[in-house]
Amino acid sequence: MRAITGWLARETGARDVHITRLERLPGGAIQENWTLDATIVGGAWAGKHEWVLRTDAPSSVAASLTRSQEFAVLRVAHANGVIAPQPLFLCSDDTVTGRPFFVMERISGIAAGHLLTRDPQVASHAEELAERLGANLARLHAIAPPQPELDSVLPAPKSNHALATVAEYRAYLDTLNDAHPVLEWALRWCEIRAPTNGGVALIHRDYRTGNYMVDAGRLTGVLDWEFAGWGDPREDLGWFTARCWRFTRPDLEAGGIARSEPFLRGYQAASGRNIARSDLEYWQVMAHIRWAIIALQQAQRHFAGGERSLELALTGRIVHELEYEALAIIAKAKQ
Amino acid sequence: MNDISDARDLLAMARDALAQELLPLLPKDRRYVGLMIGNALGIADREYQTGAAARGGEAERAARLLAASGIPVSAGIGTGPDALPQLRRALCDAIRAGRFDEASARAVLMEHLTRTARDWVSISNPKVLHSTGEDG
Repeated sequence: MRAITGWLARETGARDVHITRLERLPGGAIQENWTLDATIVGGAWAGKHEWVLRTDAPSSVAASLTRSQEFAVLRVAHANGVIAPQPLFLCSDDTVTGRPFFVMERISGIAAGHLLTRDPQVASHAEELAERLGANLARLHAIAPPQPELDSVLPAPKSNHALATVAEYRAYLDTLNDAHPVLEWALRWCEIRAPTNGGVALIHRDYRTGNYMVDAGRLTGVLDWEFAGWGDPREDLGWFTARCWRFTRPDLEAGGIARSEPFLRGYQAASGRNIARSDLEYWQVMAHIRWAIIALQQAQRHFAGGERSLELALTGRIVHELEYEALAIIAKAKQ
Repeated sequence: MNDISDARDLLAMARDALAQELLPLLPKDRRYVGLMIGNALGIADREYQTGAAARGGEAERAARLLAASGIPVSAGIGTGPDALPQLRRALCDAIRAGRFDEASARAVLMEHLTRTARDWVSISNPKVLHSTGEDG
Protein backbone atom coordinates (compact mmCIF):
# COMPACT_ATOMS: atom_id res chain seq x y z
CA MET A 1 0.00 0.00 0.00
CA ARG A 2 2.75 2.45 0.94
CA ALA A 3 4.63 1.55 -2.25
CA ILE A 4 1.53 2.21 -4.36
CA THR A 5 0.91 5.50 -2.54
CA GLY A 6 4.44 6.70 -3.30
CA TRP A 7 4.28 5.58 -6.92
CA LEU A 8 0.88 7.25 -7.41
CA ALA A 9 2.20 10.50 -5.90
CA ARG A 10 5.07 10.51 -8.42
CA GLU A 11 2.75 9.69 -11.35
CA THR A 12 0.22 12.37 -10.48
CA GLY A 13 2.73 14.99 -9.33
CA ALA A 14 0.86 15.13 -6.03
CA ARG A 15 2.01 16.59 -2.73
CA ASP A 16 0.26 13.79 -0.94
CA VAL A 17 -1.89 10.73 -1.76
CA HIS A 18 -4.36 8.98 0.54
CA ILE A 19 -5.61 5.59 -0.60
CA THR A 20 -9.03 5.24 1.03
CA ARG A 21 -9.98 1.87 -0.41
CA LEU A 22 -8.07 -0.99 -2.02
CA GLU A 23 -10.13 -4.18 -2.41
CA ARG A 24 -9.90 -7.15 -4.73
CA LEU A 25 -12.87 -7.41 -7.11
CA PRO A 26 -14.34 -10.88 -7.67
CA GLY A 27 -13.51 -12.90 -10.80
CA GLY A 28 -10.47 -12.78 -13.04
CA ALA A 29 -8.51 -16.03 -13.14
CA ILE A 30 -5.68 -14.54 -15.19
CA GLN A 31 -5.83 -10.91 -14.11
CA GLU A 32 -6.79 -9.36 -10.81
CA ASN A 33 -8.79 -6.15 -10.59
CA TRP A 34 -8.75 -4.04 -7.46
CA THR A 35 -11.02 -1.17 -6.49
CA LEU A 36 -8.75 1.81 -5.82
CA ASP A 37 -10.16 4.97 -4.23
CA ALA A 38 -7.69 7.76 -3.69
CA THR A 39 -7.60 11.35 -2.55
CA ILE A 40 -4.89 13.29 -4.36
CA VAL A 41 -3.55 16.42 -2.70
CA GLY A 42 -1.93 18.96 -5.02
CA GLY A 43 -0.90 18.62 -8.64
CA ALA A 44 -2.96 18.22 -11.80
CA TRP A 45 -4.97 15.29 -10.36
CA ALA A 46 -5.98 16.98 -7.08
CA GLY A 47 -9.28 15.62 -5.77
CA LYS A 48 -11.08 12.35 -5.03
CA HIS A 49 -10.86 9.53 -7.57
CA GLU A 50 -12.52 6.16 -8.10
CA TRP A 51 -10.18 3.95 -10.07
CA VAL A 52 -9.41 0.30 -10.79
CA LEU A 53 -5.95 -1.24 -10.44
CA ARG A 54 -5.39 -4.13 -12.84
CA THR A 55 -2.55 -6.59 -12.32
CA ASP A 56 -1.49 -10.14 -13.20
CA ALA A 57 -2.79 -12.95 -11.00
CA PRO A 58 0.02 -14.98 -9.41
CA SER A 59 -0.45 -17.81 -11.96
CA SER A 60 -0.73 -16.10 -15.29
CA VAL A 61 -1.36 -17.81 -18.61
CA ALA A 62 0.76 -17.36 -21.69
CA ALA A 63 -0.77 -16.12 -24.95
CA SER A 64 -2.37 -13.08 -23.39
CA LEU A 65 -0.94 -9.56 -23.43
CA THR A 66 1.24 -8.21 -20.65
CA ARG A 67 -0.13 -5.30 -18.61
CA SER A 68 1.99 -2.79 -20.51
CA GLN A 69 0.79 -4.16 -23.88
CA GLU A 70 -2.80 -4.11 -22.67
CA PHE A 71 -2.35 -0.55 -21.41
CA ALA A 72 -1.06 0.56 -24.84
CA VAL A 73 -3.98 -1.13 -26.64
CA LEU A 74 -6.54 0.37 -24.28
CA ARG A 75 -4.98 3.81 -24.70
CA VAL A 76 -5.21 3.66 -28.50
CA ALA A 77 -8.77 2.24 -28.39
CA HIS A 78 -9.94 4.87 -25.92
CA ALA A 79 -8.29 7.69 -27.87
CA ASN A 80 -10.14 6.51 -30.98
CA GLY A 81 -13.54 6.79 -29.34
CA VAL A 82 -14.09 3.20 -28.28
CA ILE A 83 -16.26 3.12 -25.15
CA ALA A 84 -13.88 1.65 -22.59
CA PRO A 85 -12.37 2.66 -19.25
CA GLN A 86 -9.79 5.39 -19.71
CA PRO A 87 -6.31 4.02 -18.92
CA LEU A 88 -4.43 6.40 -16.65
CA PHE A 89 -1.09 5.22 -15.27
CA LEU A 90 1.12 2.22 -16.03
CA CYS A 91 3.67 0.74 -13.64
CA SER A 92 6.13 -1.64 -15.31
CA ASP A 93 8.43 -1.48 -12.30
CA ASP A 94 8.22 -4.84 -10.48
CA THR A 95 9.72 -3.34 -7.33
CA VAL A 96 6.50 -1.44 -6.48
CA THR A 97 4.10 -4.36 -5.90
CA GLY A 98 6.12 -7.26 -7.29
CA ARG A 99 4.03 -7.39 -10.48
CA PRO A 100 3.31 -4.92 -13.27
CA PHE A 101 -0.05 -3.14 -13.09
CA PHE A 102 -1.97 -0.20 -14.41
CA VAL A 103 -4.63 2.15 -13.10
CA MET A 104 -7.74 2.98 -15.10
CA GLU A 105 -10.99 4.84 -14.67
CA ARG A 106 -13.69 2.87 -12.81
CA ILE A 107 -16.88 2.51 -14.84
CA SER A 108 -20.30 1.72 -13.41
CA GLY A 109 -22.68 -1.13 -14.13
CA ILE A 110 -22.73 -4.90 -14.31
CA ALA A 111 -20.96 -7.22 -16.75
CA ALA A 112 -22.03 -10.75 -15.70
CA GLY A 113 -23.70 -12.49 -18.63
CA HIS A 114 -26.18 -14.52 -16.60
CA LEU A 115 -27.43 -11.27 -15.00
CA LEU A 116 -27.40 -9.05 -18.10
CA THR A 117 -29.31 -11.53 -20.25
CA ARG A 118 -32.23 -11.51 -17.79
CA ASP A 119 -32.09 -7.88 -16.70
CA PRO A 120 -35.41 -6.13 -17.45
CA GLN A 121 -33.65 -2.77 -17.90
CA VAL A 122 -31.36 -4.32 -20.50
CA ALA A 123 -34.39 -5.92 -22.17
CA SER A 124 -36.15 -2.58 -22.49
CA HIS A 125 -33.04 -0.99 -24.09
CA ALA A 126 -31.96 -4.14 -25.94
CA GLU A 127 -31.99 -2.96 -29.56
CA GLU A 128 -30.34 0.35 -28.71
CA LEU A 129 -27.70 -1.39 -26.61
CA ALA A 130 -26.97 -3.93 -29.36
CA GLU A 131 -26.68 -1.14 -31.94
CA ARG A 132 -24.31 0.73 -29.64
CA LEU A 133 -22.19 -2.40 -29.16
CA GLY A 134 -22.02 -2.81 -32.93
CA ALA A 135 -21.04 0.81 -33.53
CA ASN A 136 -18.50 0.62 -30.72
CA LEU A 137 -16.87 -2.45 -32.26
CA ALA A 138 -16.75 -0.64 -35.62
CA ARG A 139 -14.81 2.20 -33.97
CA LEU A 140 -12.27 -0.32 -32.71
CA HIS A 141 -12.00 -1.91 -36.16
CA ALA A 142 -11.34 1.49 -37.71
CA ILE A 143 -7.90 1.29 -36.10
CA ALA A 144 -5.58 -0.26 -38.68
CA PRO A 145 -1.83 -0.64 -38.85
CA PRO A 146 0.51 1.15 -38.91
CA GLN A 147 -0.05 2.65 -35.46
CA PRO A 148 3.14 4.09 -33.97
CA GLU A 149 1.94 3.39 -30.41
CA LEU A 150 1.17 -0.27 -31.16
CA ASP A 151 3.58 -1.43 -33.83
CA SER A 152 6.36 -2.15 -31.37
CA VAL A 153 3.89 -3.54 -28.82
CA LEU A 154 1.79 -6.08 -30.75
CA PRO A 155 2.93 -8.99 -32.92
CA ALA A 156 2.84 -8.08 -36.62
CA PRO A 157 -0.41 -8.95 -38.45
CA LYS A 158 -0.51 -12.30 -40.29
CA SER A 159 -0.98 -12.31 -44.05
CA ASN A 160 -4.12 -14.45 -43.63
CA HIS A 161 -5.57 -14.27 -40.14
CA ALA A 162 -7.99 -17.19 -40.63
CA LEU A 163 -5.33 -19.59 -41.95
CA ALA A 164 -2.85 -18.50 -39.29
CA THR A 165 -5.52 -19.17 -36.65
CA VAL A 166 -6.26 -22.64 -38.07
CA ALA A 167 -2.53 -23.45 -37.99
CA GLU A 168 -2.22 -22.20 -34.42
CA TYR A 169 -5.14 -24.33 -33.16
CA ARG A 170 -3.88 -27.42 -35.00
CA ALA A 171 -0.45 -26.97 -33.49
CA TYR A 172 -2.08 -26.94 -30.05
CA LEU A 173 -4.22 -30.02 -30.76
CA ASP A 174 -1.04 -31.83 -31.84
CA THR A 175 0.38 -31.42 -28.34
CA LEU A 176 -2.53 -33.35 -26.74
CA ASN A 177 -2.84 -37.07 -26.05
CA ASP A 178 -6.32 -37.50 -27.51
CA ALA A 179 -7.42 -36.75 -31.06
CA HIS A 180 -10.55 -34.61 -31.55
CA PRO A 181 -12.25 -35.45 -34.87
CA VAL A 182 -15.03 -32.84 -34.64
CA LEU A 183 -12.57 -30.01 -33.99
CA GLU A 184 -10.32 -31.39 -36.71
CA TRP A 185 -13.20 -31.33 -39.21
CA ALA A 186 -14.32 -27.85 -38.16
CA LEU A 187 -10.72 -26.66 -38.67
CA ARG A 188 -10.55 -28.31 -42.10
CA TRP A 189 -13.87 -26.63 -42.99
CA CYS A 190 -12.46 -23.27 -41.90
CA GLU A 191 -9.25 -23.90 -43.83
CA ILE A 192 -11.06 -24.69 -47.09
CA ARG A 193 -13.28 -21.63 -46.74
CA ALA A 194 -10.68 -19.24 -45.34
CA PRO A 195 -11.61 -15.71 -46.43
CA THR A 196 -8.97 -13.59 -48.07
CA ASN A 197 -10.72 -10.24 -48.11
CA GLY A 198 -11.02 -9.43 -44.43
CA GLY A 199 -8.50 -6.67 -44.08
CA VAL A 200 -6.53 -6.10 -40.90
CA ALA A 201 -7.78 -4.16 -37.90
CA LEU A 202 -7.24 -3.94 -34.18
CA ILE A 203 -9.52 -6.67 -32.81
CA HIS A 204 -10.49 -7.33 -29.20
CA ARG A 205 -10.73 -11.14 -29.41
CA ASP A 206 -12.99 -11.38 -26.36
CA TYR A 207 -15.72 -8.86 -27.25
CA ARG A 208 -18.79 -10.59 -25.83
CA THR A 209 -21.49 -10.43 -23.20
CA GLY A 210 -19.69 -10.75 -19.87
CA ASN A 211 -16.88 -8.43 -20.93
CA TYR A 212 -18.69 -5.12 -21.17
CA MET A 213 -20.39 -3.07 -18.49
CA VAL A 214 -23.99 -1.91 -18.71
CA ASP A 215 -25.56 0.60 -16.35
CA ALA A 216 -29.34 1.12 -16.51
CA GLY A 217 -29.41 -0.43 -19.98
CA ARG A 218 -26.56 1.74 -21.32
CA LEU A 219 -23.11 0.62 -22.42
CA THR A 220 -20.51 2.11 -20.08
CA GLY A 221 -17.39 0.36 -21.29
CA VAL A 222 -15.66 -2.67 -22.78
CA LEU A 223 -13.32 -4.59 -20.46
CA ASP A 224 -10.64 -7.28 -20.64
CA TRP A 225 -8.34 -6.24 -23.47
CA GLU A 226 -5.75 -8.90 -22.72
CA PHE A 227 -6.31 -10.89 -25.95
CA ALA A 228 -6.38 -7.92 -28.36
CA GLY A 229 -4.24 -7.93 -31.49
CA TRP A 230 -4.23 -7.41 -35.25
CA GLY A 231 -6.59 -9.61 -37.22
CA ASP A 232 -9.66 -10.06 -39.40
CA PRO A 233 -12.34 -7.84 -37.81
CA ARG A 234 -15.04 -10.39 -38.57
CA GLU A 235 -13.57 -12.67 -35.92
CA ASP A 236 -14.95 -10.30 -33.26
CA LEU A 237 -18.41 -10.35 -34.89
CA GLY A 238 -18.50 -14.16 -34.89
CA TRP A 239 -17.31 -14.28 -31.28
CA PHE A 240 -19.91 -11.75 -30.13
CA THR A 241 -22.82 -13.54 -31.83
CA ALA A 242 -21.73 -17.16 -31.19
CA ARG A 243 -24.28 -19.26 -29.36
CA CYS A 244 -21.78 -20.08 -26.61
CA TRP A 245 -21.90 -16.43 -25.42
CA ARG A 246 -25.65 -15.97 -25.18
CA PHE A 247 -26.01 -17.14 -21.56
CA THR A 248 -29.69 -17.48 -20.57
CA ARG A 249 -31.00 -16.40 -24.01
CA PRO A 250 -29.64 -18.71 -26.73
CA ASP A 251 -32.41 -17.43 -29.01
CA LEU A 252 -30.92 -13.91 -29.10
CA GLU A 253 -27.96 -13.96 -31.48
CA ALA A 254 -26.46 -10.63 -30.38
CA GLY A 255 -24.88 -11.85 -27.16
CA GLY A 256 -28.14 -13.02 -25.58
CA ILE A 257 -29.45 -9.46 -25.37
CA ALA A 258 -30.98 -8.78 -28.81
CA ARG A 259 -31.48 -10.10 -32.32
CA SER A 260 -28.45 -9.80 -34.60
CA GLU A 261 -30.05 -7.11 -36.80
CA PRO A 262 -29.59 -4.07 -34.52
CA PHE A 263 -26.05 -5.16 -33.67
CA LEU A 264 -25.07 -5.56 -37.32
CA ARG A 265 -26.94 -2.37 -38.26
CA GLY A 266 -24.92 -0.39 -35.70
CA TYR A 267 -21.71 -2.01 -36.93
CA GLN A 268 -22.51 -1.38 -40.56
CA ALA A 269 -23.57 2.25 -40.07
CA ALA A 270 -20.36 3.09 -38.22
CA SER A 271 -17.98 1.05 -40.40
CA GLY A 272 -19.55 1.12 -43.85
CA ARG A 273 -18.91 -2.64 -43.98
CA ASN A 274 -21.57 -5.13 -44.97
CA ILE A 275 -21.37 -8.40 -43.11
CA ALA A 276 -22.56 -11.38 -45.16
CA ARG A 277 -24.45 -14.12 -43.33
CA SER A 278 -21.88 -16.63 -44.57
CA ASP A 279 -19.05 -14.56 -43.04
CA LEU A 280 -20.86 -14.43 -39.73
CA GLU A 281 -21.38 -18.21 -39.79
CA TYR A 282 -17.75 -18.82 -40.72
CA TRP A 283 -16.50 -16.83 -37.76
CA GLN A 284 -19.11 -18.38 -35.45
CA VAL A 285 -17.67 -21.79 -36.29
CA MET A 286 -14.20 -20.39 -35.58
CA ALA A 287 -15.52 -18.94 -32.29
CA HIS A 288 -16.69 -22.36 -31.11
CA ILE A 289 -13.36 -23.91 -32.11
CA ARG A 290 -11.49 -21.18 -30.25
CA TRP A 291 -13.54 -21.61 -27.07
CA ALA A 292 -13.07 -25.39 -27.33
CA ILE A 293 -9.29 -24.93 -27.62
CA ILE A 294 -9.34 -22.66 -24.54
CA ALA A 295 -11.50 -25.22 -22.68
CA LEU A 296 -8.98 -27.94 -23.55
CA GLN A 297 -6.19 -25.70 -22.27
CA GLN A 298 -8.09 -25.25 -19.00
CA ALA A 299 -8.54 -29.03 -18.74
CA GLN A 300 -4.78 -29.41 -19.30
CA ARG A 301 -4.10 -27.07 -16.38
CA HIS A 302 -6.16 -29.51 -14.29
CA PHE A 303 -4.57 -32.71 -15.64
CA ALA A 304 -1.01 -31.71 -16.40
CA GLY A 305 -0.47 -28.25 -14.99
CA GLY A 306 -0.49 -29.12 -11.31
CA GLU A 307 -3.71 -27.17 -10.70
CA ARG A 308 -6.22 -29.92 -9.81
CA SER A 309 -9.59 -28.15 -9.83
CA LEU A 310 -13.24 -29.13 -10.27
CA GLU A 311 -13.92 -25.88 -12.12
CA LEU A 312 -11.13 -26.51 -14.66
CA ALA A 313 -12.21 -30.15 -15.04
CA LEU A 314 -15.81 -29.11 -15.78
CA THR A 315 -14.59 -26.48 -18.24
CA GLY A 316 -13.03 -29.33 -20.21
CA ARG A 317 -16.46 -30.97 -20.53
CA ILE A 318 -17.78 -27.84 -22.31
CA VAL A 319 -15.83 -29.03 -25.36
CA HIS A 320 -18.69 -31.41 -26.21
CA GLU A 321 -21.34 -28.71 -26.51
CA LEU A 322 -18.97 -26.44 -28.42
CA GLU A 323 -18.31 -29.23 -30.92
CA TYR A 324 -22.03 -29.85 -31.21
CA GLU A 325 -22.74 -26.16 -31.93
CA ALA A 326 -19.90 -25.86 -34.45
CA LEU A 327 -21.27 -28.87 -36.34
CA ALA A 328 -24.81 -27.48 -36.26
CA ILE A 329 -23.61 -24.27 -37.96
CA ILE A 330 -21.56 -26.22 -40.52
CA ALA A 331 -24.56 -28.43 -41.29
CA LYS A 332 -26.79 -25.41 -41.94
CA ALA A 333 -24.23 -23.31 -43.82
CA LYS A 334 -24.41 -23.23 -47.61
CA GLN A 335 -21.80 -25.67 -48.87
CA MET B 1 -34.44 -55.12 -7.43
CA ASN B 2 -30.90 -55.12 -6.17
CA ASP B 3 -30.06 -55.90 -2.60
CA ILE B 4 -27.55 -53.07 -2.36
CA SER B 5 -27.19 -49.72 -4.13
CA ASP B 6 -25.34 -49.64 -7.42
CA ALA B 7 -23.27 -46.71 -8.68
CA ARG B 8 -26.26 -45.11 -10.32
CA ASP B 9 -28.39 -45.21 -7.20
CA LEU B 10 -25.55 -43.80 -5.12
CA LEU B 11 -24.98 -40.93 -7.55
CA ALA B 12 -28.69 -40.13 -7.59
CA MET B 13 -28.83 -40.15 -3.78
CA ALA B 14 -25.71 -37.99 -3.53
CA ARG B 15 -27.25 -35.44 -5.92
CA ASP B 16 -30.50 -35.36 -3.97
CA ALA B 17 -28.72 -34.93 -0.65
CA LEU B 18 -26.63 -32.12 -2.09
CA ALA B 19 -29.60 -30.32 -3.63
CA GLN B 20 -31.99 -30.73 -0.72
CA GLU B 21 -29.80 -30.72 2.34
CA LEU B 22 -26.61 -28.84 1.53
CA LEU B 23 -27.28 -26.25 -1.19
CA PRO B 24 -29.82 -24.30 0.88
CA LEU B 25 -27.26 -23.98 3.69
CA LEU B 26 -24.35 -22.78 1.59
CA PRO B 27 -23.37 -19.12 1.83
CA LYS B 28 -23.98 -17.16 -1.36
CA ASP B 29 -20.33 -17.01 -2.38
CA ARG B 30 -19.91 -20.81 -2.05
CA ARG B 31 -23.14 -21.77 -3.79
CA TYR B 32 -21.39 -22.16 -7.15
CA VAL B 33 -19.17 -24.88 -5.62
CA GLY B 34 -22.29 -26.83 -4.66
CA LEU B 35 -23.71 -26.34 -8.14
CA MET B 36 -20.45 -27.54 -9.72
CA ILE B 37 -20.51 -30.68 -7.57
CA GLY B 38 -24.12 -31.31 -8.64
CA ASN B 39 -23.13 -30.82 -12.27
CA ALA B 40 -20.18 -33.23 -11.91
CA LEU B 41 -22.40 -35.90 -10.29
CA GLY B 42 -24.93 -35.50 -13.10
CA ILE B 43 -22.27 -35.97 -15.79
CA ALA B 44 -20.88 -38.99 -13.94
CA ASP B 45 -24.37 -40.52 -13.71
CA ARG B 46 -25.08 -40.02 -17.41
CA GLU B 47 -21.65 -41.26 -18.43
CA TYR B 48 -22.15 -44.32 -16.24
CA GLN B 49 -25.42 -45.05 -18.04
CA THR B 50 -24.51 -44.33 -21.65
CA GLY B 51 -20.74 -43.66 -21.82
CA ALA B 52 -19.84 -47.22 -22.80
CA ALA B 53 -22.46 -47.25 -25.56
CA ALA B 54 -21.27 -43.85 -26.80
CA ARG B 55 -17.67 -45.06 -26.94
CA GLY B 56 -18.59 -48.38 -28.54
CA GLY B 57 -20.84 -46.73 -31.13
CA GLU B 58 -18.28 -44.09 -32.01
CA ALA B 59 -15.51 -46.69 -32.42
CA GLU B 60 -17.66 -48.96 -34.52
CA ARG B 61 -18.82 -46.14 -36.82
CA ALA B 62 -15.31 -44.67 -37.11
CA ALA B 63 -13.88 -48.07 -38.09
CA ARG B 64 -16.62 -48.53 -40.69
CA LEU B 65 -16.13 -45.01 -42.06
CA LEU B 66 -12.38 -45.44 -42.37
CA ALA B 67 -12.76 -48.82 -44.09
CA ALA B 68 -15.42 -47.54 -46.48
CA SER B 69 -13.22 -44.56 -47.34
CA GLY B 70 -10.26 -46.82 -48.09
CA ILE B 71 -8.19 -45.28 -45.32
CA PRO B 72 -5.67 -47.76 -43.93
CA VAL B 73 -5.55 -48.19 -40.17
CA SER B 74 -2.59 -49.88 -38.50
CA ALA B 75 -3.07 -53.62 -38.22
CA GLY B 76 -4.47 -55.02 -35.01
CA ILE B 77 -6.27 -51.89 -33.88
CA GLY B 78 -9.70 -53.47 -33.98
CA THR B 79 -13.11 -51.81 -33.94
CA GLY B 80 -14.05 -51.98 -30.27
CA PRO B 81 -14.10 -49.18 -27.68
CA ASP B 82 -10.47 -49.93 -26.72
CA ALA B 83 -9.46 -48.93 -30.24
CA LEU B 84 -11.22 -45.56 -30.00
CA PRO B 85 -8.10 -43.41 -29.39
CA GLN B 86 -6.33 -44.86 -32.45
CA LEU B 87 -9.48 -44.72 -34.60
CA ARG B 88 -10.00 -41.07 -33.69
CA ARG B 89 -6.38 -40.33 -34.52
CA ALA B 90 -6.62 -42.08 -37.91
CA LEU B 91 -9.81 -40.17 -38.67
CA CYS B 92 -8.18 -36.85 -37.72
CA ASP B 93 -5.18 -37.54 -39.94
CA ALA B 94 -7.47 -38.35 -42.88
CA ILE B 95 -9.59 -35.22 -42.29
CA ARG B 96 -6.51 -33.02 -42.22
CA ALA B 97 -5.19 -34.67 -45.38
CA GLY B 98 -8.38 -33.66 -47.19
CA ARG B 99 -9.85 -37.16 -47.55
CA PHE B 100 -13.35 -35.91 -46.65
CA ASP B 101 -13.41 -32.70 -48.68
CA GLU B 102 -15.48 -34.08 -51.52
CA ALA B 103 -19.29 -33.72 -51.06
CA SER B 104 -20.33 -37.36 -50.64
CA ALA B 105 -17.41 -38.20 -48.32
CA ARG B 106 -18.18 -35.04 -46.35
CA ALA B 107 -21.82 -36.04 -45.94
CA VAL B 108 -20.90 -39.43 -44.48
CA LEU B 109 -18.34 -37.86 -42.17
CA MET B 110 -20.85 -35.24 -41.00
CA GLU B 111 -23.33 -37.98 -40.18
CA HIS B 112 -20.78 -39.77 -38.02
CA LEU B 113 -19.54 -36.62 -36.28
CA THR B 114 -23.04 -35.25 -35.65
CA ARG B 115 -24.11 -38.53 -34.08
CA THR B 116 -20.94 -38.61 -31.98
CA ALA B 117 -21.29 -35.00 -30.84
CA ARG B 118 -24.95 -35.60 -29.95
CA ASP B 119 -24.06 -38.69 -27.87
CA TRP B 120 -21.38 -36.81 -25.93
CA VAL B 121 -23.41 -33.66 -25.37
CA SER B 122 -26.23 -35.89 -24.08
CA ILE B 123 -23.79 -36.88 -21.35
CA SER B 124 -21.97 -33.59 -20.71
CA ASN B 125 -24.85 -31.11 -21.03
CA PRO B 126 -28.13 -32.46 -22.43
CA LYS B 127 -29.82 -29.08 -21.84
CA VAL B 128 -28.20 -27.67 -24.96
CA LEU B 129 -29.54 -30.35 -27.33
CA HIS B 130 -31.58 -28.63 -30.01
CA SER B 131 -35.21 -29.60 -30.05
CA THR B 132 -35.36 -29.73 -33.84
CA GLY B 133 -33.04 -31.98 -35.82
CA GLU B 134 -29.98 -30.35 -37.31
CA ASP B 135 -28.61 -33.66 -38.45
CA GLY B 136 -29.24 -32.89 -42.12
